Amino acid sequence: MGRNKQSLIYFLISITVALLYNFLSMTGIPLIAKPLEKVTLEDDLTQTILTPQIRKIDIETAKKLHEQNVLFVDARAEEYLKEGFILGALANDDLGLLSQEIDDLIGFEKAFVIYCSDDDCGSSEDLAYSLQGYGFSNILVFQGGWKEWNDAGLPKEYHE
Amino acid sequence: MWVWASLDKILDSSQFSRDIANFHIIPFGLENLVAIVLPWLELLIGIGLIFGVMVDGAAYISSGLMLLFIVLISQAILRGFNIECGCGLKEGQLVGWEKILENIVFFGASYMVLTRPKKVFELFPKSLLSD
Repeated sequence: MGRNKQSLIYFLISITVALLYNFLSMTGIPLIAKPLEKVTLEDDLTQTILTPQIRKIDIETAKKLHEQNVLFVDARAEEYLKEGFILGALANDDLGLLSQEIDDLIGFEKAFVIYCSDDDCGSSEDLAYSLQGYGFSNILVFQGGWKEWNDAGLPKEYHE
Repeated sequence: MWVWASLDKILDSSQFSRDIANFHIIPFGLENLVAIVLPWLELLIGIGLIFGVMVDGAAYISSGLMLLFIVLISQAILRGFNIECGCGLKEGQLVGWEKILENIVFFGASYMVLTRPKKVFELFPKSLLSD
């Protein structure tokens, strides 16, 4: 039996087992990924929502929410915070402590914003899903992140 | 290595799907399908290589996957993405040239198995010592 035929067998078995496992597993995911829903201020982002959601916002909405004192959370690793971060944002590499801090400040149901470096980083979305697992229900991901915020000259701060 | 790398991905395909999406290369939401199937392919070729089952096919796929990962990580670095590689070996490992070197070594190992001179200790198809 040649390597092409063997490879085909590996692919066919993998696809079959994978789809079966995904279908039966409690942690199975849809076959096609859905992008995060984009929302704006017109959607009244700060209202309590019943079904936990992660939604994305643009810089205009992020700016307005910041002016309304909505909590911001920085998802970047600690070494990147030296570049500065959004004024008042929380940052903690320890997920448990971060979760506790957010709960102390706003509880589990109020909206807050997570951001990372820029459009391409992805760690804001990862953190959003992790925090959703802790029970936070209204999470907004600012996808432009630190780069877009900093480029726009919006309020920021630095740690020593 | 393949077996170890596949386990976390199988147990958390949602996270793996987001890791794939961060590479910004797979369109139409197909990252979920890749995240569902790829870890099982890795697991099966890993088991095949360990137990000598269809070793040619497993080494062929292993080499191909390593080349693919080298290309994917390279394009991510060149496009300036500061993202986790989603490789499954070390949690939180970022894409970088070190990762590419690691994959070149793994590619070399796969290629050596693929081009091995004697097919011994193989369970299926059964090795013939005269090969």
